[in-house]
Amino acid sequence: MIEDLTFIAQISIKSSVAVLLATVGGIITERSGVLNLGIEGMMLVGALAGFAAGHFTQSPVVAVAAGTMAGGALSLVHAFFTIALRSNQVLSGLALTILGTGLANFLGRPLIGQTGVRIRQLPIPYLSDIPVIGEVFFNQSPFAYAAYLLVPLAWFVLFRTRTGLVLRAVGEDARSADVAGVNVELTRTLSVFVGGLFAGLAGTYLSLSYTPGWKETMTGGQGWIAIAMIIFCTWNPLLAFFGALLFGGLTALQFFFQATSMDLIPSYVLKMLPYLLTIGVLVLVSASSRHRKSASPADLGVPFYREL
Amino acid sequence: MSDPVISLRGLSKRFGPVWANREVDLDLFPGRVHALLGENGAGKSTLMSILAGRYGADKGTLMMHGQEVTFSSPAKALDHGIGMVYQRFMLIESMSVADNLALTVGKKYGRRGVDYEIRQTAEQYGLAVDPEKRIFELSMGERQRVEIIKLLMLDAEVLIFDEPTSVLTPPEVDALFVIIDRLRGEGKTIVLITHKLEEVLKLADDISIMRKGRLIISEPIDARQMSRQQLARLMVGRDVVLRVDKKEVALGETVLALDGFSGDSPSGGPSFNEVTFEIRKGEIFSIIGVAGNGQTGLVSAIAGLSRAGAGTITFDGTSYTAREWAMASAAEIAYVPEDRYQSGSIGSMSIAENFGLTRLQAYRSGLAGLLLDREKMAADGRRAIGEHNIKVESSEASAGSLSGGNLQKVILARELTRKAKLFIAEQPTQGLDISATEDIWQALLECREKAGVLLVTGDLKEVLSLSDRIGVIFNGRILEIIDAHDSDRVDRVGLLMAGVRS
Ligand SMILES: Nc1ncnc2c1ncn2[C@@H]1O[C@H](COP(=O)(O)OP(=O)(O)O)[C@@H](O)[C@H]1O
Ligand SMILES: [Mg+2]
Repeated sequence: MIEDLTFIAQISIKSSVAVLLATVGGIITERSGVLNLGIEGMMLVGALAGFAAGHFTQSPVVAVAAGTMAGGALSLVHAFFTIALRSNQVLSGLALTILGTGLANFLGRPLIGQTGVRIRQLPIPYLSDIPVIGEVFFNQSPFAYAAYLLVPLAWFVLFRTRTGLVLRAVGEDARSADVAGVNVELTRTLSVFVGGLFAGLAGTYLSLSYTPGWKETMTGGQGWIAIAMIIFCTWNPLLAFFGALLFGGLTALQFFFQATSMDLIPSYVLKMLPYLLTIGVLVLVSASSRHRKSASPADLGVPFYREL
Repeated sequence: MSDPVISLRGLSKRFGPVWANREVDLDLFPGRVHALLGENGAGKSTLMSILAGRYGADKGTLMMHGQEVTFSSPAKALDHGIGMVYQRFMLIESMSVADNLALTVGKKYGRRGVDYEIRQTAEQYGLAVDPEKRIFELSMGERQRVEIIKLLMLDAEVLIFDEPTSVLTPPEVDALFVIIDRLRGEGKTIVLITHKLEEVLKLADDISIMRKGRLIISEPIDARQMSRQQLARLMVGRDVVLRVDKKEVALGETVLALDGFSGDSPSGGPSFNEVTFEIRKGEIFSIIGVAGNGQTGLVSAIAGLSRAGAGTITFDGTSYTAREWAMASAAEIAYVPEDRYQSGSIGSMSIAENFGLTRLQAYRSGLAGLLLDREKMAADGRRAIGEHNIKVESSEASAGSLSGGNLQKVILARELTRKAKLFIAEQPTQGLDISATEDIWQALLECREKAGVLLVTGDLKEVLSLSDRIGVIFNGRILEIIDAHDSDRVDRVGLLMAGVRS
């Protein structure tokens, strides 16, 4: 019994890493006032680029770097349209997802069924020997460890540093930030780019570690879950940790039910459940919290320009 | 006089077809307060925004200490020691005072140093603010102090104030003037944009007057030699009567009665408590108070835009509970909201369309009333433009292109044609120049002959000139209702506004 639970918990963490990274990246982007609905597309492109680089070079480092940068590169398309050209952020983000999905499907066709590099679980010495906890948290892939560090780091940067202050100021009131001497365009562009890097890293995790290989449906809508999660976590990276765990936990449970062959429920329904329940629970939790509305960056989705 | 700190030469700025500034030459000197006067839409804010780096000029040069400079952003202007306290404060409302200041001066002092410097500067100049408070918790006066502290921490040499007194209480105005006077003593260059003649006479050393984008007095003139009338004439271009002639009007039936009316502000602002008063046809009942004492929520509940929590409201003989009132149709109430751009009008629609907006019933035609009679709407719009002396080329111009005063006249004209029993005017002349203010005052006085008027304002002079009875609101409560014939009313109202009860 304990083994089962430990195993489910370990899989939960594994299943939450991608959503967590994508959500935190999205939070950074949205805190600067830019809405990016292209997360799913950036994840997919990151997954493909990471896999392809691994396939051709066999180097995990190159693979991770390539996947992450691919996400960042695609995000710059969004930055160009929304910040330089001030086009509608919703449309540009949707277009980014469509573009990313199409691009990945097209370029990735020859790679289907191929093998690339795999980044395996890497138990941390000593820590992983702790009963239960060690197994659950410290017998994971390096991606999970990276997330353990990046999530609090993102929080720290956002809420405890000057960089974070500038970034949030731009998202709250771009005009005032501008008058205060902040470079609004640059700040927003960098935030979008960092969000893209996170999404690319999330995608790379999927294709190198979580389900190694390349498949067109690899992200399976996790980018959209991340977008919902951003809102329900009130743009706070630390809360994203719990939101992602919820999704990961439900995904792990679904695996468990499938594996223990409870055939009563069709597998399609089971696969659907993590998505449905995550959204459901998040809506319920946040409906009862009064902070949600005031937490939204006030200038989110509002293009900025100064008269000249 | 010493050499000018700032010299503007041939400065021009265009917004689409409108020349906001044309060929402006202006010199600013150290240790002097330079008053910039002019009607609404004259181009004062634009000119100073160019100096502060927020707008770029289309033509002309800007010199500082004799050197030509160009500012591509407010940050560049700040680097050169030029700072502006904008009419709409440039503060991030959800953040603390310290965070807001750190944003601008953080590089200079470091985050820790900022807190220390804030206290130092605040103490040195007597500008009390709590660095930990968030901006939205502060009064307008406090917010302004934050803006001033910001400029002082940056050692700004040139400080521009854009209509700084329009949001302040009388004591706050006095405090601001003390600070400005002190800054002048320290040799700073100060620009004071204003409509108010008293302020000019009290404070200014030099005066420039703008009209329609041009500086009509290009040589600064010595303020002390000017009389009020001379100034006013220069500003508007004709003699202005600053007194209103107020006809006696017989009181009619009670139009509106509130009893124990309480509730919250819709946007989470301060609440109002146990408000009780009545308004009769033929009178102007004023509610005066410093902004942020619950009047916004109160008016919004009376106008039926939000729901009060408790109390009853009797309108035209029928009583409603707070809840019923929010549901009831407000067809019989005319309302001129405080924010003419946001709530009062739709900027992208034409004047004629805006004019018809609250009276669409009147323009039903064709197909069983499903169509709109646009001809008639345009005709009414044109007539209102003529009657109310609205300066605009055509009734098809967009409302957003109008200056504040002209837009306010459009809204007022529209609400007047509704022939409502109750007329609510919220801050109707805020930020308007003398001639627009006069027109609006006259319209309100005429309005009370046919309706009961509720005037909500923070402008003492407005209240004393127009009202029949005055209710002073403080902390959500009406402290006292004073008759306009009361001889010591001037002092009493001022004290009550500050919460002092004798
Ligand atoms: N951002 C803007 N876009 C378009 N027109 C503007 C803008 N700012 C000001 N204007 C126009 O420029 C003119 C001058 O405005 P402004 O400088 O605000 O006058 P003032 O401060 O003297 O009242 C007005 O006609 C106004 O409508
Ligand atoms: Mg102005």
